[in-house]
Amino acid sequence: MFIKLTGGTVYDPASGVDGQQQDIYIQDGRIVKKPTEDVKVDKEYDLKGKVVMSGAIDMHTHIGGGKGNIARTLLPEDHRNDPVHRSDITRSGCGHAMPSSFVTGYRYAEMGYTAGFEPAVLPINARQAHMEMADIPILDKGGYVMMGSDDYLLRMLTAKKDQKAINDYVAWTMHAAKAIGVKVVNPGGISAFKFNQRKLDLDEQNAHYGVTPRDILRVLATAVKEIGVTHPLHVHGCNLGVPGNMQTTLDTIQGIGGLPMHLTHIQFHSYGTEGDFKFSSGVAEIAEAINRNKNITIDVGQILFGQTVTASGDSMRQHANHKHGSPNKWVTMDIECDAGCGVVPFKYKDKNFVNALQWAIGLETFLLVDDPWRIFLTTDHPNGAPFTSYPHLIRLLMDRSFRNEVLSTIHPEAQKMTTLASIEREYTLQEIAIMTRAGAAKLIGLKDRGGLSAGNWADITIYTDNNDRQKMFEKPDYVFKDGQLVVVNGKVVSTKWGTTHVVRPDFDPSVEKGLKDYFDRFLTMKLGNFKMSDDEITEDGRGSITVHPLNGDVA
Amino acid sequence: MSALTFTLKHRTAQRVDMSPLVCHLLKELKVADIAALTLQSGKHKLRVDELFTIEGSDAQNIVIKNSVDNLDFIGKELDGGCISVSGDAGAYLGFGMKAGELKVSGNAGLYAACEMKKGYLEIAGNTGDFLGAALPGNKMGMKGGTVLVKGNAGERVGDHMRRGNILIEGNAGDYCGSRMTAGTIAVMGQTGRYLGYAMHRGTLLLWTQPQLSASFNDCGAHTLAFLPILFASFKSLNSRFADVSSAFNRVQRYAGDMSETGHGEVLVRIA
Repeated sequence: MFIKLTGGTVYDPASGVDGQQQDIYIQDGRIVKKPTEDVKVDKEYDLKGKVVMSGAIDMHTHIGGGKGNIARTLLPEDHRNDPVHRSDITRSGCGHAMPSSFVTGYRYAEMGYTAGFEPAVLPINARQAHMEMADIPILDKGGYVMMGSDDYLLRMLTAKKDQKAINDYVAWTMHAAKAIGVKVVNPGGISAFKFNQRKLDLDEQNAHYGVTPRDILRVLATAVKEIGVTHPLHVHGCNLGVPGNMQTTLDTIQGIGGLPMHLTHIQFHSYGTEGDFKFSSGVAEIAEAINRNKNITIDVGQILFGQTVTASGDSMRQHANHKHGSPNKWVTMDIECDAGCGVVPFKYKDKNFVNALQWAIGLETFLLVDDPWRIFLTTDHPNGAPFTSYPHLIRLLMDRSFRNEVLSTIHPEAQKMTTLASIEREYTLQEIAIMTRAGAAKLIGLKDRGGLSAGNWADITIYTDNNDRQKMFEKPDYVFKDGQLVVVNGKVVSTKWGTTHVVRPDFDPSVEKGLKDYFDRFLTMKLGNFKMSDDEITEDGRGSITVHPLNGDVA
Repeated sequence: MSALTFTLKHRTAQRVDMSPLVCHLLKELKVADIAALTLQSGKHKLRVDELFTIEGSDAQNIVIKNSVDNLDFIGKELDGGCISVSGDAGAYLGFGMKAGELKVSGNAGLYAACEMKKGYLEIAGNTGDFLGAALPGNKMGMKGGTVLVKGNAGERVGDHMRRGNILIEGNAGDYCGSRMTAGTIAVMGQTGRYLGYAMHRGTLLLWTQPQLSASFNDCGAHTLAFLPILFASFKSLNSRFADVSSAFNRVQRYAGDMSETGHGEVLVRIA
């Protein structure tokens, strides 16, 4: 099958193409060079006047793993109120804030997304997370394995094990859990919660292990760098949602000492304590620190108004937030001494001062961080808003008058506390393409995704240019996944299965000796069962594994 | 105009969703249009005239004849008007009902008066579990109106109930008044185990001494002036609750559930 996409306006930041008219050729699922001799074009699409980008990549979205199922169990109304019927090619499902796996895949694809990365794969629940993601059609997926509050690592730190031993343990865990990155959530805080600590600052010791979050971050960030994983340590910092946590965030940036680090949903970590309500925006300083420290990347975790559910590994902060839950029901639990989990439904309201300011803080972050290669468009789905609100968010970023119109409707005190109205910046299509495509692929280390040059997989999204950016991004004309046309006019027309992206850093096999004894003594499963094999993802014939190169590898 | 009457021709193998056949949805429609409406039954959609013979035309006054216990969602979100069912009703009878009157001559299934808001629901026979409760996962059950059950009710009567009256002439099953936020449940017969389990506020009015859990405290015997007023409000009902001989004002009062806020009360008649 040889496909030609003719005359589209191409935005491909990965190869520096910014709105040029170009033809794109697709053969056997990949983008190929313009054929030199006459090759029969099986199918040609006339894309004159259309906008062509690669398929979007959501680099932080909670689409697999146990907490999603807890959220589903907790919120049957989320599913009752949003049923999706089956069609001849798609399966039925339901859910607005936390859709079923099939609906997740369809809805992402219908917005032009072709990959999503689950940021909180607990090693001990990795099998479940991958099984669930295996049921997400169309999308590619991958996971960041969650470490930092696991007993084994904390014991290693208490025993002052050397960095080499920790590198081996991290690399081994990434293998066992089939991960492409490493995530740390409230470093050591989830563990501290179980020893009755209700908050843990960057330099506060875990009461049992005597380890501070700063130690954990440094050791893990070093490990990730030394074992050659492209995606920097993915950090959900301390003190999420606490007024005044901007200082913690600044200290975290400072404390990592120049190592690569990705700060996730930074909106929840950028709060000051000024004003009558002792809650203010700390974006000016945070954005300045990010602009200055080139080793830092961030995603925003924008909140948007409406009903959603927050699902996080940060049981300490979720426990503290449960009293704001709406509807009033919540779950906080331990997961096998490895980590935690907290699920609290939230209804963000534009007339609520705190929510309104959170909304403004997220947008300020987008607009004040200069380099679109180091900031990523997320709502931390579903924590800030369901991923289906991305087109609305893109419009807020690209359309200043629309942004100011919405701003004028939020809580008046919040309007006074934000500089949003005075910020003139409007994102360009190229910048959106960087944030949601090229930048994301580069950050995660996907070698042949996120770009439209020859050799890349043909994940391509085609939009009709429209000044109403929400309408434009809501409903792509065409979406190709690995060269297969999957969406036409914002509706799924065929489905397929994406691949699972992983990396495989080296480790010393003797790391298993200590681990085996530990598993036998303390854990609920044996070491051999803890490790996932590739077959578990591939043997059903739909899933596949794509291994990406490490830093320093010759691609 | 005579009552719009649906007479069931035969019992279907699968359950039937009756929610389109309520007064406020039919009032603008001609009989032919009503006949052409479809009802979901299992995987199939059935035309109304496949299932029922239709007579009369007054949509404010609907009669369902030969009704059986697999006709679900009768009177769903009923907003004024009258529905009278001769025979049994299925699950979710009067679900989310907003106003009007709904009467069943036989028994009703699970979740009768589920999340009912206002109006009057009368069941001459027995009713299943979760009378006046919230849907699973929801936090608010019945929010208003009156439910009268002449027979017995199943378990979990008034689960998460918020306001309104549930009157039961017969017995109530286990967990009667569980997780109640407020409202009144009166039971003339026996009640089961775990009465008022995790209730926050609200009143359980009983004719016979229940088996109370340890988290209810005995507050002694009281003469309560509000009881005659409450009974007076039942006077117009076609029920034993309207009998002067049923009324009383002297009760033993128990407060609970102390494992919750403990503002709920169980009032037991002192004969």
